[in-house]
Amino acid sequence: MLMHVVNVNKDVMKANNELAHSNKKLLIKNRVFAMNIMGAIGSGKTTLIEEAINALKDRYRIAVIAGDVVAEMDASRFEKLGVRTVAANTGRECHLDAKLVERSMENIDLEDTDILFIENVGNLICPVDYKLGENVRVVVVSVSEGDDTVLKHPMIFRTSDLAIVNKVDISEAVSADPSKMKADIEKLNPSIPVLLTSRNDRISIDRWIEYIESYLE
Amino acid sequence: MHEYSLACEIFETVIAIADQNKASAVNSITLEIGRLTHVNPDQLLFCLDVLSGDSIAEGAKVNVNFVSPYGECECGYREDTGVPDNACCDDQQSLYEYALMTCPVCGKLLQLVGGNELIIQTIDIDI
Ligand SMILES: [Zn+2]
Repeated sequence: MLMHVVNVNKDVMKANNELAHSNKKLLIKNRVFAMNIMGAIGSGKTTLIEEAINALKDRYRIAVIAGDVVAEMDASRFEKLGVRTVAANTGRECHLDAKLVERSMENIDLEDTDILFIENVGNLICPVDYKLGENVRVVVVSVSEGDDTVLKHPMIFRTSDLAIVNKVDISEAVSADPSKMKADIEKLNPSIPVLLTSRNDRISIDRWIEYIESYLE
Repeated sequence: MHEYSLACEIFETVIAIADQNKASAVNSITLEIGRLTHVNPDQLLFCLDVLSGDSIAEGAKVNVNFVSPYGECECGYREDTGVPDNACCDDQQSLYEYALMTCPVCGKLLQLVGGNELIIQTIDIDI
């Protein structure tokens, strides 16, 4: 019997990054602006996307990839708004990966799409490691998760392009300080824009929509 | 949280390479894990152990080397973030410490480069 050391040198994470890169090329080729919306279950991702669809669907062609562990509830909420929706069920996974997005995009006419919202599976840890090919990464955190949530999940705030502190209208009821959350985000990532939003505050929702429009022509 | 699927990928790669080399057993697997990768080594090793049961990799020892990210700053500073090798646990606390590392030259928040890998380095097999 012979003992033998084989050099493997394979990066398991790199495979996803390469696929994300080819997704990105496909999106650029078709002039699609893709946003990856990350955040915990209940942070308000679906509502923020719905608001954006309502505000933008008359002027832009919109599609959604709704990532979920099993249910298709979020997907049906988007479909009701009349936009192309693909439910990307991850099965047992805690995040979307580039492969799932690639497969989902096969069911979307990218040539006929201006904006692609990708609603990630709800958590603040796993999506950090998985680029999807998106143009912009958005992290949504609600005050009801507690105002120490930001510092507990530093990497997602370091690697995102926009941070949204949501449900600020209920801050008092859940004893959370949204300005502390904003300050913590800025401490982790001084260049990131931070929006404080609530679905009951139209002005704050408009700012979210203006942010998206700032990327579009 | 995604340790199981990563373990599956590692296991499949290890078995494929062992088969290519006509191995009769896999004695050990050496992994490199970036300190910023959201992987819990204990969970990963547990999943690998479960997966390799009843295979030629059953009972293989898994060695883990940790890789620190580099810290880069606008001022030109670039240095390994230099966490001692015996500090092994990638828990939330250490991620937090990384996230707040500042440049020792000018005090700005350091940009972290690398440290996101999960590499199957080598496998040690019987032929
Ligand atoms: Zn500096």
